[in-house]
Amino acid sequence: MSTTPAPVPSTREAVIIGGNRIPFSRAGKKYVRTSNQDMFTAALEGLVARFGLQGERLGEVVGGAVLKHSKNFNLIRESVLGSSLSPTTPAYDVQQACATGLEAAIAVTNKIKLGQIESAIAGGTDTVSDAPIVVSDRLRAALLDANHAKTTGAKIKALLQVRPKDLAPATPSTGEPRTHLSMGEHQAITTAKWGITREAQDEIAYNSHQNLARAWEAGFFDDLVTPFKGLTRDDNLRPDTSPEKLAKLKPAFGMKLPDTATMTAGNSTPLTDGASAVLFASRAWAEERELPILAKFVDAETAAVDFVHGHEGLLMAPVAAVPRLLARNGLTLDDIDFFEIHEAFASTVLTTLAAWEDEEYCRTELGLDGAFGKVDRSKLNVNGSSLAAGHPFAATGGRIIATAAKLVAAKAAETGQPARALISVCAAGGLGAVALVESV
Amino acid sequence: MTELAGLPKLGRLFTKGVAGSAGKRPRGEVRLPEVSYRVARVDTAGEAAHLAAYQELLGEPSSDVLPAGFLHVLAFPLATAVMVRGDFPLPLLGMVHLRNVARVLRPVRLGETVEVRAWAQDARAHRRGVQVDLVAEVLVDGDLAYQGVSTYLAKGFRAPDGAAPADESPREEWTAPLPTARWKLGSGTGRAYGAVSGDQNPIHTSNLGAKAFGFPRAIAHGMYTAARALAEVGPARRGEAYEWTVEFFRPVLLPSTVDVAIRNAADLVPAGSAGSAGSAGGNEPAGGFVYDGWRSGKGTRHFRGTIRPL
Repeated sequence: MSTTPAPVPSTREAVIIGGNRIPFSRAGKKYVRTSNQDMFTAALEGLVARFGLQGERLGEVVGGAVLKHSKNFNLIRESVLGSSLSPTTPAYDVQQACATGLEAAIAVTNKIKLGQIESAIAGGTDTVSDAPIVVSDRLRAALLDANHAKTTGAKIKALLQVRPKDLAPATPSTGEPRTHLSMGEHQAITTAKWGITREAQDEIAYNSHQNLARAWEAGFFDDLVTPFKGLTRDDNLRPDTSPEKLAKLKPAFGMKLPDTATMTAGNSTPLTDGASAVLFASRAWAEERELPILAKFVDAETAAVDFVHGHEGLLMAPVAAVPRLLARNGLTLDDIDFFEIHEAFASTVLTTLAAWEDEEYCRTELGLDGAFGKVDRSKLNVNGSSLAAGHPFAATGGRIIATAAKLVAAKAAETGQPARALISVCAAGGLGAVALVESV
Repeated sequence: MTELAGLPKLGRLFTKGVAGSAGKRPRGEVRLPEVSYRVARVDTAGEAAHLAAYQELLGEPSSDVLPAGFLHVLAFPLATAVMVRGDFPLPLLGMVHLRNVARVLRPVRLGETVEVRAWAQDARAHRRGVQVDLVAEVLVDGDLAYQGVSTYLAKGFRAPDGAAPADESPREEWTAPLPTARWKLGSGTGRAYGAVSGDQNPIHTSNLGAKAFGFPRAIAHGMYTAARALAEVGPARRGEAYEWTVEFFRPVLLPSTVDVAIRNAADLVPAGSAGSAGSAGGNEPAGGFVYDGWRSGKGTRHFRGTIRPL
């Protein structure tokens, strides 16, 4: 493992102007029969309206959805065409499971830094309520055979292969293709390995709801969210939840493991619908239009872990990505003012922090000289995260970037000192994406 | 060595095996027939559809290299032909598959013409009867490419005088590790693998058939579970030449959820002394992968094996 970071070539800055999302809604509630395209277009239009981008040709719009029907092959481009941006704005789709939104931001900011584009929007959308349903493999094979058959007789013969049980549809699941374990079960294994307690997880969940509720009350999201379909706030938010209420919930994952199950519906994120978008640009482009500059999107790193054979937990890739990112930028955990660690599960946050504090782990797995360090809990997800807001997979990156940019801007304005936020998002497939956002 | 013109049809062998099983009862010591079957030329070119069906069911990637599990299936009719002979003293039905050790010494590709051999050897004592090895070999251009040794138990039979005594040492203590995968095996699992492997033994394909042999429901083929583990490790990690072992414990009653831990041997805490390489039990192999299977949420151990590049 190489420990010497490569020198970062100097490029120009990519700045964050602002973000917009629709309120996140628990699956099967407000956004039933609302498509990914509907939601992303709504998030996009809110952003366009906020910064007066009507008719503007942007450098690029990039985003994606994790649960996407093949008919939405150009989901983001179609959303652009349905928005009031100039139809000459190019777009493309990306997909990296829960890291989709953050990966989209990494892609567009790199282009801005290289001078290939001046402005861009990155984001994502996901719906569980309107998720595509897939036919069984046997039915699909029969339909394809029938489609390829040349004669009516051959078509009928192909269709006669279909058996009644083949008609059962396959709904999308959060199961890993190679292990057939759901994400929750995978995290339950990691949780058991690290001995994370139920109380510690419930505390993370409680704080998430408290912090998000406080941020809503304080008007933090007034310029980050556009109401949609009659919803003005994230409807998963439970300001009245308490440690006692959370402690009463039955375990939802890890019941088949030898260890006591600790993960509940309360300390795991619910399935959610929603969309988000963030506006990035070169400093010159923003200044020319007299648009506010909240922060710089400084740098990013992705990582992956070998979870298939249990060497590492499914959601632990950010643990490896963050030390590489900080080393490259000459920073340590102490230089970070805000930690935005995506709460896929409360225990994901806790196993991440535990790994960084573990000397042996950091030496053998991360190739560091000792423990990476301790995260100051008072800087962790200060305005709430996915446990309270919900987690529409591809939309989470955009939610976090906009929050982080606003937080560092406010802190820098208050102290007169530069402020930094670290963003960490874990994803299916043993993937992780992390990024560094800094005040201007 | 008895030459056969081609691989026999399994369906016919099973009919013979079922009919013959009733007559094979324990009497006197077990004497194996001194016979070895050989098919000099088996053209694998015709196996393309069979291979594709096997790969799809077990999760092997699409490839022209025949996985060890497929070579086991390919040679299985010849081994079965040995077992259904009138002078083979043990009944085809009711024998218990205890373990399997297979080695791929060089890759066998679809389209190659291969030689297949099978024989029975080494009848020896088991605490519940007699165990016997069925050996199957696949050769390409006269060179050994694959060897599989399947060990079966025939309960109540008596080992030949002078054979090694039964291993009476108590089974090692075992607690389930954390799983790396979870397999949901439906009630049709036995029929699906039966269709691909040709092993239509009724204990796997029907609940009624299983009841006749004392099982409450149909049981999964042990080789299905072992072949899935082999597929999961995959060609990139097992290499061109590899050893694949499995030891079976309690059968998997269908339908069932099986928790599986397929782990890099290097990640396992060394158990006491440095182990001898490759054994299906106790000691850990030097490299490769170790896999364990047990009933999800219970301590019922189903299987354990190793996959190791050679």
